[in-house]
Amino acid sequence: MILTPIKWTMIQTAALQSLYMVSLSTILTSLAGIPLGVLLVITRQRHIFESAKLNFILGLIINATRSIPFPIFIVFVIPFTRFIVGTSIGPTAVIVPLTLAAVVFMARLTETSLLEVPFGVIEAAQAAGATRWQIIIHVLVAEARPGLIMAITITTITLICYSAMAGAVGGGGLGDLAIRYGYQRYQTDIMWVTVILLLLVVQGVQNLGDWLVRRISHR
Amino acid sequence: MTHLIEITALTKTFGTGSGSVEALKGIDLYVDEGEIFGVIGLSGAGKSTLIRCLNRLETPTSGRVVVAGRDLTTLNDSELLEARRGMGMIFQSFNLLSLRNVWSNVAFPLEMAGRPAPIIHQRVAELLEMVGLSDKAKNYPAQLSGGQKQRVGIARALANSPSILLCDEATSSLDPQTTASILSLIEDLKERLRLTVVLITHEMKVITEICDRVAVMEDGRIVETGQVIEVFTAPKHPTSKSFVEVVLSNREHFLEKGYRPKGILVRVGYIGAMVVEPLVYTLVKKFDVEANILQAHVDHIKGTPYGTLLLDLAGDTACVALALDYLKSSNVNLEVFDDPDSH
Repeated sequence: MILTPIKWTMIQTAALQSLYMVSLSTILTSLAGIPLGVLLVITRQRHIFESAKLNFILGLIINATRSIPFPIFIVFVIPFTRFIVGTSIGPTAVIVPLTLAAVVFMARLTETSLLEVPFGVIEAAQAAGATRWQIIIHVLVAEARPGLIMAITITTITLICYSAMAGAVGGGGLGDLAIRYGYQRYQTDIMWVTVILLLLVVQGVQNLGDWLVRRISHR
Repeated sequence: MTHLIEITALTKTFGTGSGSVEALKGIDLYVDEGEIFGVIGLSGAGKSTLIRCLNRLETPTSGRVVVAGRDLTTLNDSELLEARRGMGMIFQSFNLLSLRNVWSNVAFPLEMAGRPAPIIHQRVAELLEMVGLSDKAKNYPAQLSGGQKQRVGIARALANSPSILLCDEATSSLDPQTTASILSLIEDLKERLRLTVVLITHEMKVITEICDRVAVMEDGRIVETGQVIEVFTAPKHPTSKSFVEVVLSNREHFLEKGYRPKGILVRVGYIGAMVVEPLVYTLVKKFDVEANILQAHVDHIKGTPYGTLLLDLAGDTACVALALDYLKSSNVNLEVFDDPDSH
């Protein structure tokens, strides 16, 4: 199975588009998703920033967002996408729905890993005279690092999968190439190469995440 | 003299409405400077909530908690942080930061207080030396034994040079030997650093080992309080008695094992030096009763000797009655278990 240079160029372009979409949306997702997850935890009952109202509203928004299937979500947020990036077509435009959908996913994963930190450790920090802000940074987030790295890893892989649906709005990328050329035009070789590429990337991301977790874990 | 810690009419209710739980139902107590004050109670008695009100990990529902002249319930956030730095706290589950090594766990309170690095360095070395863990500085909590973890907890609690140490069931997850070594460390540090210690526990052994005064808690209330030696040798409240019985001989233990008393079971308790033999000798010789010693316990609390005897007094009913009168008139604490008429 030897690919023509044209096909190689197509794959290369698609791979770069995927890399662009996934890496930028992963960064944005982490920047927004982790703080959102922190907020979900600290507003819980008897936690350090208890607020039943805020917790309820956040939960509602997150659940609502998560309940919409991603292809529909892309279309649903088109007006917002247009408002933010000026267009609703192309890799940059796709980053908007990708990030929005992944942020709420990331927030839930963050919530789970922060809840793994025993409350006694937070109490010990309070008793030691730490401020709420210090507790968030130096206890909650610091102690949950292995879980948070896992959460970022899982989110990245989810974003790689989601980005395959970006073709629907002309986003391009490997998934889009596989569907349009590999499947719809019966170019099996392209299908194979993209699938293998995606497989390698996902495997690589997972391994990187596992390695990082092993490095900092001391439990 | 004013007390270092003074709690007045303290109540704490969790939740509201029908699902609410009254954890503290009006607590009054004081702790003097330099004391080791123990609170004993079963789980659910409210002792954990009580000690958490001392550094406002729990906010009291009503009442006053005055520490070193300041009412904790009226402090704002920054005043509270300052007050908390004047108190160290250690926990049953140690609550160390698992991703920080021993050194940085001890450094944590100093970092949070914004101390400069050279001072932190010097202080942490000093603290680790104090708890005997200088060689474990680079280890992580998961690599330590329970006793070592609690030593790290103690070093961390003392980092900001507090004057009060709060111990929340600090030895409850440790084996007896480790418990003894941690308790003697606390006692030693208390002397060296002139600390005042408040501890809560469900083990009478901990109380008799290091406490000066004790409060017995049950169902959100203090049912008895006093010098440990007094409460221990002459408990008044049934709850106090049951705690004492765990440590001392208890007659149920004998009865369960199938022991049939020949006569009347009595417990004789005394404080201070007393020779046991003359007492038993007198019972036998003068009153012609058979005094069977089922159990004898002689020990000392904070240097004061005390003892208890579990006796089975058998013989002629009249003689036994006279013997009981004799015991009542002696300078001992007498508890008669069995009604003589039932035999």
